Amino acid sequence: MVIFFEVLLVISSMLLILLVLLHKGRGGGMSDMFGGGMSSGLGGSSVAERNLDRITVGIGLVWFACVVGLGLLLQTTA
Amino acid sequence: MLGAFVNAFRTPDLRKKLLFVLFIVAIFRLGSQVPAPGVHVANVQECFNSIEDGSIYGLINLFSGGALLQLTIFALGVMPYITASIILQLLVVVIPRLEALKKEGQSGQAKITQYTRYLTLALAVLQATGIVALARTGNLLPNCNRDLLYRDSWQTAALMVITMTAGTAIIMWFGELITEKGIGNGMSILIFTQVVATFPASLWAVQQSEGPWVFGSVILIGLIVMAAVVFIEQAQRRIPVQYARRMVGRKMFGGSSTYVPLKVNQAGIIPVIFASSLLYLPTMAVQFNQDSQSQWVQWISTYFVRGDHPLYMIAYFLLIIFFTYFYVAINFNPQEVADNMKKYGGFIPGIRAGKPTEEYLSYVLSRITFPGALYLGLISLIPLVALILVNANQNFPFGGTSILIMVGVALDTVKQIESQLQQRNYEGFLR
Repeated sequence: MVIFFEVLLVISSMLLILLVLLHKGRGGGMSDMFGGGMSSGLGGSSVAERNLDRITVGIGLVWFACVVGLGLLLQTTA
Repeated sequence: MLGAFVNAFRTPDLRKKLLFVLFIVAIFRLGSQVPAPGVHVANVQECFNSIEDGSIYGLINLFSGGALLQLTIFALGVMPYITASIILQLLVVVIPRLEALKKEGQSGQAKITQYTRYLTLALAVLQATGIVALARTGNLLPNCNRDLLYRDSWQTAALMVITMTAGTAIIMWFGELITEKGIGNGMSILIFTQVVATFPASLWAVQQSEGPWVFGSVILIGLIVMAAVVFIEQAQRRIPVQYARRMVGRKMFGGSSTYVPLKVNQAGIIPVIFASSLLYLPTMAVQFNQDSQSQWVQWISTYFVRGDHPLYMIAYFLLIIFFTYFYVAINFNPQEVADNMKKYGGFIPGIRAGKPTEEYLSYVLSRITFPGALYLGLISLIPLVALILVNANQNFPFGGTSILIMVGVALDTVKQIESQLQQRNYEGFLR
């Protein structure tokens, strides 16, 4: 059971990292982080981007469930 | 003031944005409490409560809202992203290719952002490995000889590293989501959240150890400092610019007089972050060579670890002043401003366009930055002085960095909300 969760966690972590990197980065670094000008790109997100969001949220939920599940399992077994 | 809040929530558009930000922040805080798999929660809590404050990870732990020492899934917080941004900012000056990208405008900037994202994840892997290694050897929370992990195997360690890296990726995504769909800048709001989250606890620690009188005066001083910070953050010099009237087709353009605002503190809080990150390097090096008796380790641990030695303070102060000038030089290019002004037929009254304008701007800028740099240096020395005066710990609640972050981010966000409100003719927060 623990092994299953661990494998699932590794896979979902990898997928998450990949998915986040696929997103188009918004906001450019430090300069507009602290008191820069308004740089809101009023582009609106494309369909692809919205689908990507959905997939990311889905994988994120799986990831979170794995973390919590593993935590509980380890606490009871150890 | 309260009416403005009600108005902000009455506007459907704005309400959606505000609620979205709150939602993300809530998830973010939740994730900062969930321990990474393999961590022995009870032991970590016990150790966490028993450590004396002033652990070396002060600033990093502050930015992670206490999540780091508890080894949670968001343990690294926004620190990798900040470090990556700093590194790329510096590299833009050094590497010609990046400079060319920056000059390219929007698309080049997007590319640099993409590089920042890759670098963030690389750094996240590095930092996670470091922290997990420290946790395995028991150096993360010194003076505590319990096992922080259930099983001391490389598999567990690798699992934790991967989980923390994925956590960092999620944080990065959250930041971008807030920037895109919420209000204000995502990353700075996340930092703000973490700084504020540790606030009540560290204030309470002062009350516990020093009693109500010191507690009250600390709060009072904090409020005064905050007001002063707001005052200086808003201060700017307005250099008047007159635009020539010109005809394009049948329309008149220009003829207006505006100004170039030069803020006293043009650099924001970045110099403080730069300087403290840099000063953590020697401490970090010592941490990894704890057992060695060589001379430099001894020297660093007497002067640079505790942070209340005069030498440390002077180094900190000078670094902040240096970085303030450095960052202003990167950020505001008088030549560019002067060129743009010339292109659109603008001039500063009494000064010729072109080269003299550029010289005048840089003259004013370097003079106005001087008090700004001094102010940043002095504000960030407050916690160090407090360390000596009331014997507080390094994460002193009204520490310079945290006050600067709180005020800076809050001002910025409120201004953005206000500009959204004014689009709908409502009265804003700031009169």
